Amino acid sequence: MIAALVLATVIAQPSYYSPGEAEALFQQGATAFDQGDYDGAIAAWQKLADHGFASQDVLYNLGTAALKKGDLGHAVLWLERARRAGGPRDDVTANLEAARARQGDKVVGQVGDPFIERIAAASSPDLVAMAFLAAWLGGWALAFVFRFLKPGRRTWAAVLSALLLVASLPLGLLLGAHVWVEKNTHDAVVLSPTVQARELPAPNAKVSFEVHAGLKVRLLETEGAFVRIRLPNGLVGWAEKEGLAEL
Amino acid sequence: MRRIGSPLGAPRGAISFAFAAVLAATAAFAEEPDFYQTVDRAEVGTEDTFRLNVVIVNAPEDATLTPPDLSDFEVLSKTPVDSTSIQIGSGGSQIQRVRKWVFVLRPRRAGQLTIGASRLDLGGRTLRADAITITAKKGRLQDPALAQRQRRPDPFQGFFGGNPFQGMPGFDDEDDAFPFGGPPDVDIPTTEADLFVRTYVDKKEAWVGQQVTLSVYVFSRVDLSSVDSVKLPKLEGFWSEDIDTPQTLSGETRILNGVPYKAYLLKRKAIFPLKAGTQTIDAAEADITTGYLFAGRRVHRVGNKVKLEVRPLPDGAPRGFATTNVGRWRLSVDATPEEVELGNPVTVRVTLEGVGNVKNVTPPKLTAPPSLRIFDPTLADKPTTRNGQFGGRRVQEYLVMPQQTGTFTIPSLEFPYFDPESRSYEIARTEPIQIRVTPGAAGAVATGAHAATGPVPADAPKNVLASDGVMPIRHSADFSQRGAAVWSRPWFVPAVVSPLGVWLALVGVGLVRARAAREDEGSIRKKKARAARRRLAAAETLRANGATADFYAEVEKAVITFLDARLGEPVAGLTREALAQKLTEKGIPADRQRSLLAVLETCELGRFAPGGADPAARDRVLDDAEAAMEALDAR
Repeated sequence: MIAALVLATVIAQPSYYSPGEAEALFQQGATAFDQGDYDGAIAAWQKLADHGFASQDVLYNLGTAALKKGDLGHAVLWLERARRAGGPRDDVTANLEAARARQGDKVVGQVGDPFIERIAAASSPDLVAMAFLAAWLGGWALAFVFRFLKPGRRTWAAVLSALLLVASLPLGLLLGAHVWVEKNTHDAVVLSPTVQARELPAPNAKVSFEVHAGLKVRLLETEGAFVRIRLPNGLVGWAEKEGLAEL
Repeated sequence: MRRIGSPLGAPRGAISFAFAAVLAATAAFAEEPDFYQTVDRAEVGTEDTFRLNVVIVNAPEDATLTPPDLSDFEVLSKTPVDSTSIQIGSGGSQIQRVRKWVFVLRPRRAGQLTIGASRLDLGGRTLRADAITITAKKGRLQDPALAQRQRRPDPFQGFFGGNPFQGMPGFDDEDDAFPFGGPPDVDIPTTEADLFVRTYVDKKEAWVGQQVTLSVYVFSRVDLSSVDSVKLPKLEGFWSEDIDTPQTLSGETRILNGVPYKAYLLKRKAIFPLKAGTQTIDAAEADITTGYLFAGRRVHRVGNKVKLEVRPLPDGAPRGFATTNVGRWRLSVDATPEEVELGNPVTVRVTLEGVGNVKNVTPPKLTAPPSLRIFDPTLADKPTTRNGQFGGRRVQEYLVMPQQTGTFTIPSLEFPYFDPESRSYEIARTEPIQIRVTPGAAGAVATGAHAATGPVPADAPKNVLASDGVMPIRHSADFSQRGAAVWSRPWFVPAVVSPLGVWLALVGVGLVRARAAREDEGSIRKKKARAARRRLAAAETLRANGATADFYAEVEKAVITFLDARLGEPVAGLTREALAQKLTEKGIPADRQRSLLAVLETCELGRFAPGGADPAARDRVLDDAEAAMEALDAR
């Protein structure tokens, strides 16, 4: 009883902005954007994102305003977050492509992502999770039904149960891939105009290469103020955390 | 031919002739002659020329002139000039006849030089003109008279309007007094050297279509009263445009072969050769009146022919080039307005301006997507002349009517031309113009060709809908955020493992039940014993009125059931010997075995043998069965 009350209190906790205030702030940003005041638009939408209103609409507008402003780093960051927040909508994908087209780095010899990441990227984690759960529970439910049916009247239950349990096997593997990718892959976007990647996590270490705003990199490990990054073509180096923002 | 001359010149010829005839009867020559000499400059350079005038007034016909000593000077020319004047006074009229010798001299050395005295012998009497000393300096000195002339304001300045080519290469604001590069190279004729007409061009060779400036001048060493008529050559093979036609005679001093002349411009034309080859321009002719009043006389002069070598344009002309496109041109296009509502027109002006035959060039034709209907243009020219160069501006104005909304591009236009100065082909280009057509406020619709004929052809230029590749922002927001992944929600893992839990629970229940069944074997026996007793009780109900066989069968089943429960294994179907052995194995005492077997034997006899219906026998069997069962329970 006490736990239920605490939960209800947490759920019913008021937001930073009321729905009306949030809508007004959103429209304020849209007006500023239409007048070419991209900084004003970003400031308004950033407030929403910082106070629990980081929906795909807000993040997409933030990314689009940053793209118009020429801030490629934040444009890619917010558009990637918008894609993750609400799926690959057409406008999000288009603006991400536009931002990448303007990005200054050309990664030569780009290799593809590992198979497990590719199949995870090709499917919706929620959809996979729900499909797996349905097949799994359905198979077991029919197995129980089979147990209680009289012989001669329970063949259908056995067949359906077997089919569902067999189907749940690849779905379970796919779900496992999603979980693995979610737990083990960390991407970031370069925000600073130029970020130097060094051979060692030290400020005076030899510079291996440079990356520029808007490039998406993979985070491998962290050591002090440095983070080890990997480019899509396998180039690896240590970059300062300050110039990056994790997705 | 239009008459050229002083405004007073036209009537003056006839009037002065009549006036002189009236006065001639009473006129008398002045008796005392006059004799003197003057120079036009007191200080000259050794490279300059100056004039010495020796003037004789009213001298008799037999007077003899002895020229001055000019050993320090080079005599470039010696020309006599005669004039006659009439003076009317209270004592009647006098005719004064003047003969002037004009010497053009150049100092041989620097220093104080003396022009010696001249003598005039009058037949017994000698008149002397005083010697003149001038200062000669080395080099060239500014002629004060010429400097004064140069400071004189140009009456034609600004007459032809402003300079349209200001800032363009090759079109500076130089003095326009003599645009063809200084005094022309004029050959002085051997006869009629004091007054002649000359035609000349500013270049001997030209390209087809290139401007050549043709000028017709009168050179005169006598006073010029008027130019009554000028007959210009026909200029066949040329396109010609007037660039200078003075309305009054205005002479400028020119030194030809060291002789000062007054040069009067009669006509200046820009001519453009239309074909290659050697072109001959015929001589110009003029009727000229010299002198004033009664001394004036009218002469006819024929000028010179001019040859011009016209070169064909070189090979390698760019595509779209026309042979009339010669000169230096700039092309521009402007559209007004560039954003228009559907149903309103756009005015597009294609302007070609520069130097060349502006009346014979054709600006490129405007093109546009089919969504913009272009009407035939109007043409407007503004020819101008600057520094002797003919040119100007030619404007084609188009009315463009949009047929649909959208953003359309009027493509770049090109005008290829030949530049004679650089001797190369050039291309003037314009930038594309975008016209944005918005929906009409009143819902205007297209009424043009395409609206009537249907969709735009597939191969026609398309409506350009360019963008910067950035999709617009969203103007409405849904602030609901996507929750955590389904698999990470708290209920997911329990839901996945729940079937296994149920299965395990069921297995557990089964095991528990099995185990529970094993522990209650005694109670099972008791149950069976209780069942046996219930059967015995049922047999007791059959004792009074039931069938004999049924009664004994029920008693027998009660005993067998009781033995099953007590022995823990079924005994039905066993023979009496096997049953006795089983009872022995279970440790049942022999007396009790006998009583049980006796009851079973009695029941079997009662079922199949007659006489069993006796009630007493039935009671005895019941009692024996109960006693045997109690005896086993009591064990």
